[in-house]
Amino acid sequence: MAKEGLPPGIVNPPRPLPEKAGESPEEHRTPGTLVLVLVFLAAFVVYYFVNWKLLSFVWRVG
Amino acid sequence: MSADFRTCPTTGLKVHAQADRLIKANAVVGVVALLIGGIAALLLLLTRWQVVHLLPADWFYRLLTVHGMNMLIFFILFFEMAILYFASAVLLNSRVAAPRLAWFSFWLMVAGALVVEWTMFTGRADVLFTSYVPLRATPWFYLGVILFAVGALLVVAIFFATLIVAKKERTYTGSIPLVTFGAATAAIIAVITLGHGAAIYIPTFLWSLGIGNVDAQIYRLVWWGLGHSSQQINVAAMVAVWYLLGALTVGSVVINEKISRIAFTLYVLFISMAAAHHLLVDPGLPPTWKVWNTSYAMYLAVLASMIHGFTVPAGIELGQRLRGYTKGLFEWLRRAPWGDPGFSALIFSIIIFGFVGGITGVTFGTEQINIIAHNTLRVPGHFHATVVAGTTLAFMGLTYYVIPLIFRKKVAFWPLARIQPYLFAAGMLIFSVAMTFAGTFGVPRRHYDISFAQAPFDFQFSPAVDLVMTAMAIGGLLAITGGAIYIAITVWSVFFGKPLEAEVKA
Repeated sequence: MAKEGLPPGIVNPPRPLPEKAGESPEEHRTPGTLVLVLVFLAAFVVYYFVNWKLLSFVWRVG
Repeated sequence: MSADFRTCPTTGLKVHAQADRLIKANAVVGVVALLIGGIAALLLLLTRWQVVHLLPADWFYRLLTVHGMNMLIFFILFFEMAILYFASAVLLNSRVAAPRLAWFSFWLMVAGALVVEWTMFTGRADVLFTSYVPLRATPWFYLGVILFAVGALLVVAIFFATLIVAKKERTYTGSIPLVTFGAATAAIIAVITLGHGAAIYIPTFLWSLGIGNVDAQIYRLVWWGLGHSSQQINVAAMVAVWYLLGALTVGSVVINEKISRIAFTLYVLFISMAAAHHLLVDPGLPPTWKVWNTSYAMYLAVLASMIHGFTVPAGIELGQRLRGYTKGLFEWLRRAPWGDPGFSALIFSIIIFGFVGGITGVTFGTEQINIIAHNTLRVPGHFHATVVAGTTLAFMGLTYYVIPLIFRKKVAFWPLARIQPYLFAAGMLIFSVAMTFAGTFGVPRRHYDISFAQAPFDFQFSPAVDLVMTAMAIGGLLAITGGAIYIAITVWSVFFGKPLEAEVKA
């Protein structure tokens, strides 16, 4: 329970990592972040494409 | 010597008394600048919202100058000076090198800022943040900026001197922490930035006195080495704060220290090129220069941001997973401390900076696309997402830890503090996206009256513009409410807050 006026990170600091935690490469997977990164990439592609499309409306070639 | 230090009961760090005082002084002045810039923001917003159209034209441009200088220079740089003292003296358990010079620098920055404020509020410098030549302000304006920049440059020198002192006096072992490394890259970019500032403001100051001439294109070229690069100091400092907040709030781990350090180094080498996107429609520069700077070199800086944009959340995820939150894809995120304003500010800062600020910024960096975005509201839409929703929000989150750890006070109005990042982030997201949409419809930036009421020609924007401008106003008002809450919390906590010692004794 957080104490009024103090951030939880100070009142209840994050638990120390268990000993030997993260030693195995299997534990180093971050699938959630990977999904978020792919969503970002998709947004990037869509926005970039839309901008070229908009440009084609105002700057016609031929 | 030990009498000059206190040991932080929470972190165990030794805090030099001078570092403590310098951090407090810089942070307090930074928040005062935020307040001035915030009031100007409210008045500007109520003017650009055509339904209200509050200010007369002269005060609109005057307050736009006030808003830009206070938000992009004074608030941000005072806060970053505090971060430099924290990342050097506090994180390395060291004393501050040359504390007297540090105080001299602080007062020089304050004096410079006060001179600039006076010139702006008295109508002697209605030249906007960019002060493009041949717009001429009073010489005091340029002198004030130069004094401020010299002060900031001295603080950067003290930061590097403190790193050397810490190394010599062996106050830490191994490599410097990643947060200090990030702050060091911000400091290096600050040197580049302030060098550009000196190179352009000194001749412009002389020109304002009637000595010599300044070419308008050269001014733009060199000035943007200051104007945009100063925001890159923010980026490096913000990313350093992301790593710090991740560690403080959820015990995030650094996925790969070497990769993160390389990414910071890429900022130093390539991020200044991003300034070129302001000059892509300028006729005085050749296409080769434009293409090299924006289409090649700049992407290496973008790569750095993408690396940090992956390693920071991945570090949070890994830290959470190693503590047992392993169910599904997102238990680590669901079970994170969302009621901690430090954590919520961190996450919203990453998301809005990356998704809105980052993507729009890269788009502007494309020469062909720039021509449909330049000087429209898309540009402020972009930098409000980076500097305000990204950097300022990260600094706000850090403040909730600085108040108890440095000021030794409890955070006042705690229930409000918990929701403040949500209000501010939601407001800034709506505001930035609406600005971007308005810009897509061709709405110009820095424009007093987009109805062109007194223009000799008639021009009508798409009716959709009214809708997005209203959304912009609603988002802006929400964000200003969040900002006002932040200032109220900060000022009350620092000056009237309950001391932490009293709480511990009780």
